[in-house]
Amino acid sequence: MRTLTFVIGCGRLGASIANYASQQGQSVVVIDSEKTSFTRLDDSFSGYTIVCDATDLDELRDAGISNAKEVIITTGNDNVNLFLAHVSATILGIPYVYVRFDDPEKGFLIQGLNVKPIYPFQLSWDRFNLLKSGAESK
Amino acid sequence: MKIVIAGGNQQAEFIISMFKGKENELIVINPSQEVADTLVKRTRVKVYKGLPWRKYVLEETNAYGADVFIALCESDTDNYGACMMAKKVFSVKKTICLVTNPKNVDLYKKLGVDSVISSTYLLAQSIRGESSVESLIKTLSLDNDRVNVVEAVVLSSYEICGKPIKDIHFPRYASIAAIYRNYQIIIPNGLIVLEPKDTLLMVTAPENIKRLLAYVQTERDLTSAPKVFEAAVQVVKQRRAVKEENHEETKADHKAKTSAKKELKAVRRSTKTATKSVAKTAKKK
Repeated sequence: MRTLTFVIGCGRLGASIANYASQQGQSVVVIDSEKTSFTRLDDSFSGYTIVCDATDLDELRDAGISNAKEVIITTGNDNVNLFLAHVSATILGIPYVYVRFDDPEKGFLIQGLNVKPIYPFQLSWDRFNLLKSGAESK
Repeated sequence: MKIVIAGGNQQAEFIISMFKGKENELIVINPSQEVADTLVKRTRVKVYKGLPWRKYVLEETNAYGADVFIALCESDTDNYGACMMAKKVFSVKKTICLVTNPKNVDLYKKLGVDSVISSTYLLAQSIRGESSVESLIKTLSLDNDRVNVVEAVVLSSYEICGKPIKDIHFPRYASIAAIYRNYQIIIPNGLIVLEPKDTLLMVTAPENIKRLLAYVQTERDLTSAPKVFEAAVQVVKQRRAVKEENHEETKADHKAKTSAKKELKAVRRSTKTATKSVAKTAKKK
């Protein structure tokens, strides 16, 4: 059964997503290569935390990624994120894959795949334009 | 050929020196300024400093439509990212990716990298190739162990030796690619007779190597001849034993018969004497 919410990379964004999903009552697994990253999680976080190398597919499988309904990929390395997005969408066939790319041009490489990208640059750019247009209209 | 060499230190230097020349257009990209400087110093080739998985770097170096893209960075995923960018955005014809984790070889290929090289993987393969050499057999695996060329020497004791190929019922899962005899290559056909010390070069899938070798090395049934002889000897011995027993039996019978006759005679005598004595006593009376 695919029921898990899988968060790879427990940075600021990953930890926030994991905390929120846990509060919503979903079963959450958080993965990071460093144990200290898990301090970002709330005390009330009720999911699993696993220290492993996410670039090793066997370790991900051991962590239970095959049972994931959604995978959120937020590690600090764009190439790792790209690789994980490709693996999740093609080899593991996970229905919902979200990935963060600092480099918006990585978007060319996930075209045609069932992957939803998040670009912090794009979000900042949109926000800036919104703020600017709001300020100018006053 | 247009060749892009991304990342790498000594490997990059070696590959540059291999392909340097007028016929090849080399594009060398390296993320580290120090390595880029030493590469320039040693190979006298232009080196771009930049991250090879970034689109703008490949754009600046004009990597569009390159024939080969070789990613030699330290991190497997960086190489993967660079190869994907080269393949999908810059339509490079062939991407080659160096990895340290041998498990990534099959995975990256599945994900679309044309060729994945892992030194550990190659090392393991060649170790296995060497170890399966039971004095006579060598194996060579191609395309990451999907095709194997197996080399085996024909010995005079083998079943297949001395027969034409059409008569040996060579298995369908393999084929004899060539026969190496007296330093000459013979292209096999059905009429060629396999001789002792011929080296067979056979092509097969890796899962069939054991079966194939078992087939080739089937010994001719020399062992059956002594066995037949032994069996014959056994039969003769058994027969002899039976005869002797019979003989003894007959002896015993004979003894028994003679003793019975003697007894019979004795009884007759005794009866005779008894009747005589009875008659005597009757006469006396």
